[in-house]
Amino acid sequence: MFGAFVVATAWSYSSIYKTRAQRDALATAFGSNRAIIALFGPAPMLQTSAGFTVLKTFLTLSILGAVWGLLSGTRSLRGEEDAGRWELLLTGATTRGRATAQALCGLVAGVVVLWVITAAIIVVAGRSSRVAIQPGAGLFFAAALVSGALMFTAIGALCSQLGATRRQATGYAGAILGASYALRMVADSGTGLHGLIWLTPLGWVESLEPLTSPRPLPLIPIVACTVVVGLVAVRLAAGRDVGASTIPERIRTRPRLRLLSGHIGLTVRLTRPTVVAWGAAIALTGLLFGFVAHAAAASISGSSVRTVFTRLGAPGAGADAYLGVTNLFLAILLCCTAAGLVAAVRAEELEGRLDPILTAPVARHRWLGARIVVAAAALSVCGIVAGLATLLGAVLGGAHVDGAAVVGAGLNLVPPAVCILGIGALAYGMVPRMAGRIVWGLVGWSVLIDLIGGIGSLDHWVADTSVFHQMAAVPAVPPNWPSLVALGLIGITASIAACVAFDHRDVQGS
Amino acid sequence: MTATPVVRTRGLAKRYRDADALIDLDIEVSPGEVLGYLGPNGAGKTTTIRLLLGLIRPTSGSAELFGLDCQRDIVAVHRRLGYVGGETSLWPGLTGAETLHLLGQVQGRVDDAYRDELVERFDLDPSRKVRTYSKGNRQKVALIAALMGRPDLLILDEPTSGLDPLKEYEFRRCVTEARERGQTVFLSSHILSEVEALCDRVAILRDGRLVEVGTLADMRHLSSFTVEATFDGTVPDLAGVDGVLSVSTHGRQATMQLRGSVEPLLQVLAASGVSELRSREPSLEELFLTLYGGGGGPRGSGDGDGDRATGDD
Repeated sequence: MFGAFVVATAWSYSSIYKTRAQRDALATAFGSNRAIIALFGPAPMLQTSAGFTVLKTFLTLSILGAVWGLLSGTRSLRGEEDAGRWELLLTGATTRGRATAQALCGLVAGVVVLWVITAAIIVVAGRSSRVAIQPGAGLFFAAALVSGALMFTAIGALCSQLGATRRQATGYAGAILGASYALRMVADSGTGLHGLIWLTPLGWVESLEPLTSPRPLPLIPIVACTVVVGLVAVRLAAGRDVGASTIPERIRTRPRLRLLSGHIGLTVRLTRPTVVAWGAAIALTGLLFGFVAHAAAASISGSSVRTVFTRLGAPGAGADAYLGVTNLFLAILLCCTAAGLVAAVRAEELEGRLDPILTAPVARHRWLGARIVVAAAALSVCGIVAGLATLLGAVLGGAHVDGAAVVGAGLNLVPPAVCILGIGALAYGMVPRMAGRIVWGLVGWSVLIDLIGGIGSLDHWVADTSVFHQMAAVPAVPPNWPSLVALGLIGITASIAACVAFDHRDVQGS
Repeated sequence: MTATPVVRTRGLAKRYRDADALIDLDIEVSPGEVLGYLGPNGAGKTTTIRLLLGLIRPTSGSAELFGLDCQRDIVAVHRRLGYVGGETSLWPGLTGAETLHLLGQVQGRVDDAYRDELVERFDLDPSRKVRTYSKGNRQKVALIAALMGRPDLLILDEPTSGLDPLKEYEFRRCVTEARERGQTVFLSSHILSEVEALCDRVAILRDGRLVEVGTLADMRHLSSFTVEATFDGTVPDLAGVDGVLSVSTHGRQATMQLRGSVEPLLQVLAASGVSELRSREPSLEELFLTLYGGGGGPRGSGDGDGDRATGDD
């Protein structure tokens, strides 16, 4: 995926920015824009495909890689421990420290595989004249792309020792990633604090400057950080009890009974952390898109860019058109939230936590109905948050936008997510084993269709199966009311059918 | 006119894909009765209980609690029962106190004083998060939650798994008190001493079929009992004596399983110089083993395949 994204970006550069003048315009719009640099890192040599590719892919993919790394680190260490499988492993001929070291080596091997595949794709595709990346440069670029994943795998392993649950460990690792990004942002903000770049893992990654002016020196802190953090993780694992954590957990708390007066309150309490995490991701993404809207708008004056944007459903120029396109990403995040909420409902049954509620005088359709209504309300709040965050970002970034339209664009994201929620709930009500696959599959399919639709032309019957295709690119164009009403109605009807179906099927026990 | 049975099933059956989990179950439990529901793993005990709770739908037949259909009147039925499963999953982020509060609210029957008494008796630390609880502690939460509302019917599915002997004793006291209060108990278990101590009647299930139901006294009557004799000299041949099912000898001691009249055995024993003679009723365990075809030996633990293999020998 990493390799493919890089190649596609390099490829699209030569098709979008055909003339010298267009490339110069891009360079002046982005290359010296402080906001862009703070967000995506320095952008030298935008007149070349290499510079454009680095700007478009490097930091984004590095962060994605880091998230992947920290998630796989916490999953295979603290996750396994939470599930009780770690204990089973440790009763074999191994020690706590050695087992952790072995798991870590396995994860690093995974990163190496990622590097090999990414490098292979870049090097092979780099031979094409339109992509044009030398083999050596390709190898280095691939190494730079996965270096974030490498460090954060080790950080994930360390946080697995610090936190008592997978969620806690992931939270700590996520906080380190966030701090690392923020510190890098300050360093790149042009306020004379550039030296800070050497204090943050993402800064080291950025300093590699692949493709544009490769520098291998920052590989030293990257490798050193991985090794040291990994060794500390192994030491901590060897020195603590299984199931315990280095940072002591608060196992006794005062009872908080406010929400626990019924199953609806319980649903709110169980849904809250998931929604807060997704909501924060959506808010940050919205803020980011809003912040760069002003600068981005300047660069989409070129006619070929406008053609692409028009094809994506956002005609015109200016911040509105840009936000109309970027809102698709927010829509994807919101639909992922909906799919995650469906998966959580399924997990509740699979892990047997449904029994204590459903053997009490609570009708099944009421329980599922409450879950759906709470989820739909959470999605609406996330939609409003997306709109407000985008607006805030746009104002901070200096874009002139219509506030009501931008917030409306956030609400415009809600019906597709409600549709996904309803269909997912129906799948849960009828074929619970398949619910996860169906709902995530639907989101994946919709993304795929919409992306293909954005590049080439698709039969409209096929395109119509994507929930994102049904959504107008607000605020670039007015909302498509009939579509929104249809999506909402599908969601509501499917939800009602889900409740009826759930009343009539067997409940699985633990 | 007799009172409506608390539990009544008619031809209740459940079939999964290609396997019968429960076949044609007819069973009744009267108000105030404690019924022991026995059977080896996979016999269909949990399937029966999930059908009674309305969590799964029968393939055929029907189940009623308090004269109400378990599928149609599920909420009304649940208002009057408490349930404990053998494998209790709770919300790891909630504390014991929060869980008990929630379940009390959801069930709609809250008696805070009785709840606190049970917490004390089961020695549960309710301020801890469920995540830190052992299996036994999670089981205590489920037991307290079911008992604290004093429901008309307690449906317990291997409720003491993971409890230590002291807490198991406390559980028995609670069930005895419940019975004295007139609550009905449907207790599925494979801890035979527990069933023996608590239950008025016992139902035994095997491969999805009800094979035996009655009071322990009834069953003992039907089954063999044990005679142990110590001889002054050598042990005579007792295997051919009328009524003797099996003999095992150990030095000068012989242990026999006997069914029917003791007279023929007594005549043989009297002629052989017996120094000691003990006779006892079969324990439920022995009954159980006899039923499952193992002939009283420790290996005949009721595994269907094992039985057939023994028969072929």
